[in-house]
Amino acid sequence: MKILLIEDDTQTAAYVANGLREHGHVVDHAASGRDGLFLASGGGFDVMVIDRMLPVVDGLAIVKTIRGAGIKAPVLLLTTLGGVNNRVEGLEAGADDYLTKPFAFSELLARVNALARRPPMVEEATILRVGDLELNRLKRTVKRGDKPIELQPQEFRLLEYLMRNAGHVVTRTMLLENVWEFHFDPHTSVVETHISRLRAKVDREFGEELIHTVRGSGYTLGVSR
Amino acid sequence: MSPDSFFRSTGFRLLAWYVAVFGASVAILFFIVYWIALAALDEQLSDSVGRETDVLVELYRGGRVERVARAIELRMADLRAPRRYYLLLDAQGERIAGNLPPMEPIEGEVVLPVSFLSPDRRPKADEPAEAYPVLAEGRRLENGEFLLVGENRYRAVKAQEAIFRALAWGIAITVLLAAGGGAALGVGFLRRIEEINRTTRSIMDGNLSKRVPASGGGDEMDQLAVNLNAMLDRIQVLMESLKRVSDDIAHDLRTPLSRLRHRLEAARVKAGPDGDAVVEQSIAELDAILETFSALLRISQIESGARRAAFSDVSLGQIVSTVSEAYAPVAEDRSQHLSAVVASIPLIHGDRELLTQMVANLVENPIRHCSAGVEITVGLAQDGASPVLFVADTGPGIPASERESVFRRFYRLEASRTTLGSGLGLALVKAIADLHGASVELSDNHPGLRVTVRFHASL
Repeated sequence: MKILLIEDDTQTAAYVANGLREHGHVVDHAASGRDGLFLASGGGFDVMVIDRMLPVVDGLAIVKTIRGAGIKAPVLLLTTLGGVNNRVEGLEAGADDYLTKPFAFSELLARVNALARRPPMVEEATILRVGDLELNRLKRTVKRGDKPIELQPQEFRLLEYLMRNAGHVVTRTMLLENVWEFHFDPHTSVVETHISRLRAKVDREFGEELIHTVRGSGYTLGVSR
Repeated sequence: MSPDSFFRSTGFRLLAWYVAVFGASVAILFFIVYWIALAALDEQLSDSVGRETDVLVELYRGGRVERVARAIELRMADLRAPRRYYLLLDAQGERIAGNLPPMEPIEGEVVLPVSFLSPDRRPKADEPAEAYPVLAEGRRLENGEFLLVGENRYRAVKAQEAIFRALAWGIAITVLLAAGGGAALGVGFLRRIEEINRTTRSIMDGNLSKRVPASGGGDEMDQLAVNLNAMLDRIQVLMESLKRVSDDIAHDLRTPLSRLRHRLEAARVKAGPDGDAVVEQSIAELDAILETFSALLRISQIESGARRAAFSDVSLGQIVSTVSEAYAPVAEDRSQHLSAVVASIPLIHGDRELLTQMVANLVENPIRHCSAGVEITVGLAQDGASPVLFVADTGPGIPASERESVFRRFYRLEASRTTLGSGLGLALVKAIADLHGASVELSDNHPGLRVTVRFHASL
């Protein structure tokens, strides 16, 4: 993937750029808003990671400008700590996702990957299949092999999100935001508890585990290779 | 303002003092006038008596007693002078003329009591003019005769009464005017005091930009208002700079802390799949620090009220369902029980994201701080016109003395010092409730704690 990173803090930029490169991506880095806007306008990026707080031309302005110019590449906005309004403002400006600084690199990576595969998601399949697990989004039924599985509404949403992102890491925060719409960090193990319940229903009796824990990052659903 | 508070007010007490002092000084002034007027009237009377005596003595000149007697007879017949009294005695003390009984000759001024007057000259019921003592002057004439001319004090007494009435009216009117004027002044004064009180109450409620209205008249009240406003401006500047400093600290620490986190992550990667316990612990503690900063910044942003612009219609019922569904398994894993009681209540105007966080915080508290077996109920109810959110538990509760303090930032109950947490949870709840104009109340759930968030119906 070709990724544009607009970030004025050199250390953070180096950390993010090096990390992304280590994972096989091509990274262009702009250290100022003006340079970033220039690069972004050229197009050709699969994902753009833009810091919100930039000197001269700030991140929101860049997003608005490139969206105005018809550039549709997904944008991950890096926002400031504790910024209550940042998410809404960022999404309204045209960003696709946001991440609060400081962040774990695995979180950034998971979100960049999720954004990169967003376009095919527009046309959602009615039935999601991973291995012998099948989820019908209209009938709201789940079965593994021939055996139907009864799920609570939130367990269903959790499984649906994992299946839509099958094969990719989804972080705890992504699950909280997308499954529960919790835009804060709970002080109790909400995600872990629901994952373990879901595992008990989806995996336990079936020998082969589909839900995997990725240490230090999150979870992934898929057939083990 | 109620009449009760009017009588208790400083304004009323000042007014009462003002009326009393003013009334007393007017009374003293009027009594001085009264006594001086009275003395003047008596002097006038004695002058009049003296002049009459002089006239009669002039007639007598050379011992012409008859002329005097005739003059007296004529004067007694003159009905225009009913208050005059005369007595003319010969050298032997026998009465020659006059309307007074014979008496021992006394020279000079003398006051004759009513009882001395001859019965036919005594006051009668229809003759009140006579009911007054007589001021008289006696003179020894050349041949041993005695002449006494007197006039009763009717005029003086009447004048005295008139003056007294005038004074009484004067005092009454003065006191009334003073009371009325004072009350008018006092009410104006009290109204301005009340304005100042209203403003300070509003400021105590967190509306720091409120100012005392100044009339622009430049009086002391105006100066007080101007000074109060200047003080409030100063406090606001100080508070804003304090807030800015704390926001700046949190904000500026973000970059170095981010870098620190990046380094620790790099170290974690280097440590390999087995990990490094020190690095893991450091990351966990750093995340706790970052979370505290984040919560502080969040609270101060919520308190700024900017979020209100994005309010929309929100279903509290949906929020309570989502939160209780999310946390019920968490509680169950800890052998606790979480249930939801959702009454149908109207939508409220608010911020869905923040309200969700508030309900989650309130539900997490008993899950984290109560032991196994606790019953937690989260619910909605309609109390009159107010939608009410409540979270009740059967845990140890919070002592009544600490119920106010738990909303303070970093305040932690003795019992929960051993458990993790930043001490900002309820401060955040309060900030969110305040943003929505809702009140948060902690009460005894017999046993346990009950948190009630009361929203306003108008929202």
